[in-house]
Amino acid sequence: MSDLQLLMNAVGILAIAGSVVLGILVFLKIKEAKQLQISVENLNHTLSEMDEQAKLVVRTDIELNKAQEELDKKITGLYALQTLSRAISSTLDESQIFGKIEPSLLINLGFEKAMALAWDDALRTFHVSMTVGFSDEDTAPIQSLLESDKEHFVDLILEDQSLSSISASLDQAFRRKICALLKVTSFVISPFLPKEGKKGLLFAGSDAPDTVINEGDAELIKILATQIGQTLENARLFEKTWQAHQELENRVEKRTKELSHALDEVKRLSQRKNDFVSNVSHELRTPLTSIKGYASILLSNKLGVIPEEAHKRLEKINKHSDELVQFVNELLDIARIESGRMALKIAPFNLKNIIDDVKDILLVQMAQKQITFTAVLPDNLPEVTADYNQIKRVFINLVNNAFKYTPSGGKITARVQNTDAGIQVDIVDTGCGIPEDDIDKLFTEFYRVDTPINQDVKGTGLGLAMVKHIVEAHKGKVSVKSKVGSGTTFSFTLPKSI
Amino acid sequence: MTFAHRRYILLYMIDIGTGISVERNEVAAVEEAVRLAKTKKLDREKIDLALVFNSPDISASGVLKNISVFLPNVPVIGGTVSGFFSHLGICKRGVIVMLVTFPEGIYLTTGNMAGIAALGEVIAGEQMGEKLLYGFKSVPRSLSLLFFDELTQGNINFIYGLQEKLGKSFPAVGAALSSPGGNNNNSLYFNDTPLVDGCAGILFGGKISYGLGLRHGWKPLGKPHAITETAGNVIHKIDGQPAVQLYEEYLAYDFQRIKKEIKNLSELYPIGIRIPGQNEYLLRSILSIEEDGSLVCHGNIPAGSTTRLMISTKETCLEATREAANEAKANLNTRSLKFHKEKTSKLVIVFSSFSRALSLGKDIQTEWKIIADAFEPGTDIIGISTFGELAPLATTSYHGQTYFQNQILSILILEG
Repeated sequence: MSDLQLLMNAVGILAIAGSVVLGILVFLKIKEAKQLQISVENLNHTLSEMDEQAKLVVRTDIELNKAQEELDKKITGLYALQTLSRAISSTLDESQIFGKIEPSLLINLGFEKAMALAWDDALRTFHVSMTVGFSDEDTAPIQSLLESDKEHFVDLILEDQSLSSISASLDQAFRRKICALLKVTSFVISPFLPKEGKKGLLFAGSDAPDTVINEGDAELIKILATQIGQTLENARLFEKTWQAHQELENRVEKRTKELSHALDEVKRLSQRKNDFVSNVSHELRTPLTSIKGYASILLSNKLGVIPEEAHKRLEKINKHSDELVQFVNELLDIARIESGRMALKIAPFNLKNIIDDVKDILLVQMAQKQITFTAVLPDNLPEVTADYNQIKRVFINLVNNAFKYTPSGGKITARVQNTDAGIQVDIVDTGCGIPEDDIDKLFTEFYRVDTPINQDVKGTGLGLAMVKHIVEAHKGKVSVKSKVGSGTTFSFTLPKSI
Repeated sequence: MTFAHRRYILLYMIDIGTGISVERNEVAAVEEAVRLAKTKKLDREKIDLALVFNSPDISASGVLKNISVFLPNVPVIGGTVSGFFSHLGICKRGVIVMLVTFPEGIYLTTGNMAGIAALGEVIAGEQMGEKLLYGFKSVPRSLSLLFFDELTQGNINFIYGLQEKLGKSFPAVGAALSSPGGNNNNSLYFNDTPLVDGCAGILFGGKISYGLGLRHGWKPLGKPHAITETAGNVIHKIDGQPAVQLYEEYLAYDFQRIKKEIKNLSELYPIGIRIPGQNEYLLRSILSIEEDGSLVCHGNIPAGSTTRLMISTKETCLEATREAANEAKANLNTRSLKFHKEKTSKLVIVFSSFSRALSLGKDIQTEWKIIADAFEPGTDIIGISTFGELAPLATTSYHGQTYFQNQILSILILEG
């Protein structure tokens, strides 16, 4: 073979080999391209799947945002409602209740405009009580609408029904009419109904074009209207109570003044009586002293012996003069105590000393009448702070009194007790006792119980009155317990020595 | 505080006082807020800047009138905002006044423009730049802070015009007080004048350090989708289909429902645009939906972008807050070394997108606490609720590009 042929063969072989290699390479590339295409398709598929997932994410996010928005709105609304309710409840002045509706709180409830309309049943008309978000010019046409469609609105009050722009029962033409007139896109009208007094309607509206109210918003306004009604009722009750209270206070004040005048009059009369008694007593004592003096001179026979019969009469004059002097002295003492002119010589002393003195004074009389006198005192009796002589008079009066009304063979006990309130003294007798009806009057001056016994027992009717005055001058109290036929107990208290 | 310390602060440190009043009457509110702010300052007479914000229930004209009475001849920038907070707490209503005196070496100018659209955004931006540059001469510029009454994509052109005059070596940070087409037509103030379609700005320069932290906390969800047809701020088609299908598929809502609820829905689920070379997605909330299913966005959509639906949780939002605060502090530390001061004081300005308040709900309090806790006790903080923000996409990779953003939290620390 020539070189040329060899060369051509070699080229041919190379060409065939090249073609084979190229074919293999093309085959491999096609395979790779197919794999790439599959990968791209897979990637596109994955991307589409992810895009679908992204769509789901967006839709879920929208729902979540809506739910969150609703929740935020609800929370804000409830918070605003609570704040409004608290503000409204904080006043009991009817004129201030509507003033508590703050525009910012109303906005948080989802409304920018509000109006309160009070229904005047007598005049059959609505009055605007409050506006938020309305100018003065706005209110006139609104009132005209209320007049022309009065019955619609009055029915809401009578039937306690709310009306809103989303109410299914609302006539669409009427809804548009309200929206146009009130310049709102959505509204709620709810009645406020105090039990008595002026009822009315609360209107709340929004003019935001995108705002759509829901039942929750309408419910918030309904609650607010109910709260207003309740507060109006509270205000009315408060006003009523306050007026009644005021009237009562005026009457009490008037009565107090009358009583005060009466008391002043009584005091004045009492003072005049005391002055009169005091003056008369003084005037009586001088001639009495003379009478007694002259009777004593005559009885002493210094002016000659007087006949027996005259002597007896003179002794009677002398005795009655003594009684009259004692009577006058007691009157004077009472007058002095009442007018505060009697100066008490206050000092601590033991009551046992007084009881012993009284016992000595009355011992003979008691023995004659066979009356037993017993003193019962605790061993550690504290001293009292009082005027010794005056308290002695109290003891003498009470024991003497018991002596008078205790029959022969009876018993008188002076019992002294140490109590929290002070020293209590009881003079207990086994006498005839005092009828119940007379007990309250015992300490009244000149009062004497009207019993057959008293016909025989002498007395001025001043003794117990004086006892009362003396004890009360010592800040003590006098009381009496008695049962007819069983006996009587006079008690009085005295302050303990500090 | 000793006399020497007081003098040191007046010479070398920023002197700040913040006052808040919740009085409803504008005279009483402004008087109280100014008085409280002054009591916290060392120098009550010399005030270089007053930031004044009030809630919508207080009359803007009343605030402006009274501010000029209580703070005569003081440069004032502020406005009506939907919410504000300070180191003292969050306020839903009232007036906040922050009075600032800058020490020697720190320079600032203030300027304003109104009727931006009528003038043309680029021209208005250029004129604003010239106003801010007035008197700055050769002082190195550090930062511009811009407040708009409303912020639209057109304002990016305004920034372009502004940077044509000021340069692009430093960032512009800004925010709008009102939502375009929204119900909250909040006012913007410059000195004693309200601005309509306007901007009030401050240019800082000299020995001032700043740290900026930006985060939103929204995460991408689902597969990327190609924006196949767009024009400006309107996305016509995604994956060759009407753009609204993105929301229809993910939310399983019909067209009418999405059309009705899109504003609220897009606050929670904005779209995110992937910017090449950036980790953080650029967020776009949707203003409305056209009948053909096109999405009208709050800001332009870069052509040829891919987009993903974004989602957040309270946790991701709050984590973003922590990261923004840490980022601002880290950036401040890097920059503040060059001035070698012994002592400095800081003031913190926060723009928090209104959408965050919607997403966080009651946890907006937690966001405030995270920000307050991130700084030393006593640091003066002023924060406002905003509707659209202007800032670099990320603070660590600023290349002269300012983005119109939605739903972010910007934390700016000024130190000096």
